[in-house]
Amino acid sequence: MKIFQNLFSKGDAAVGAPVAGSLVSIKEVSDPTFGEEIIGKGVAIIPTSNQICAPIDGKVATVFPTGHAVAVVGSDGTEILIHVGLDTVNLNGEHFTIHVEADQEVKKGDLLLEADLEQIKAAGYDIITPVVICNTDDFAEILPESPKTVSPGDDIIKLRK
Amino acid sequence: MKKFQYVIQDPVGLHARPAGLLVKQAAGYKSKVTITCGGKSADARKLIMIMSLGVKQGMEVTCEIEGEDEDTAAEALQKFFKENL
Repeated sequence: MKIFQNLFSKGDAAVGAPVAGSLVSIKEVSDPTFGEEIIGKGVAIIPTSNQICAPIDGKVATVFPTGHAVAVVGSDGTEILIHVGLDTVNLNGEHFTIHVEADQEVKKGDLLLEADLEQIKAAGYDIITPVVICNTDDFAEILPESPKTVSPGDDIIKLRK
Repeated sequence: MKKFQYVIQDPVGLHARPAGLLVKQAAGYKSKVTITCGGKSADARKLIMIMSLGVKQGMEVTCEIEGEDEDTAAEALQKFFKENL
């Protein structure tokens, strides 16, 4: 029974999928900043929807003016970076629409950004979207869910303090 | 305490990848590393804080390093900024 107590012990939290798509291991990301977990542990989603939503209740910490990445800090202090596609900073805002601003309170599922995936792909970019826990060191364990198809809000990472 | 200034050359500024590398670099030292830009300061080990500074090309950042290995850390960080940013 101990294993169940551990699995559901107090202080556990979960991060929801920010976008619909296929959940894959972060190791699938060719950019070593993410794939080798330099920024932190996490997962990646190959998105099938243009809408990027808040993965947790909290606050927008920063949204890049280019709209390609957004950071959300959960009300429990979890720091999550969502980076839509790789090297997409070079698009300079094109094909991205920002719907939030820094310091804005958000609820899990609220729309943060829209990314025109077809246009981004057509421009030659990989749309794989890393979702990374930036304050990885604040957690005892970060447990990515196994690869599967996800809808926005589905658990993708379990956290244990 | 050691301190240096650097003007960001990277056309896209201090975005996610270089910020991530900076955090990793800073975490390798015992010294506390603080980045200041445009009146805001951030602990160089906190990626979200660094990104919130919104550092763009042409902006000057001040890097302050304080701790027992500040000499080595300052030298390495200065090199890092020149090579990556």
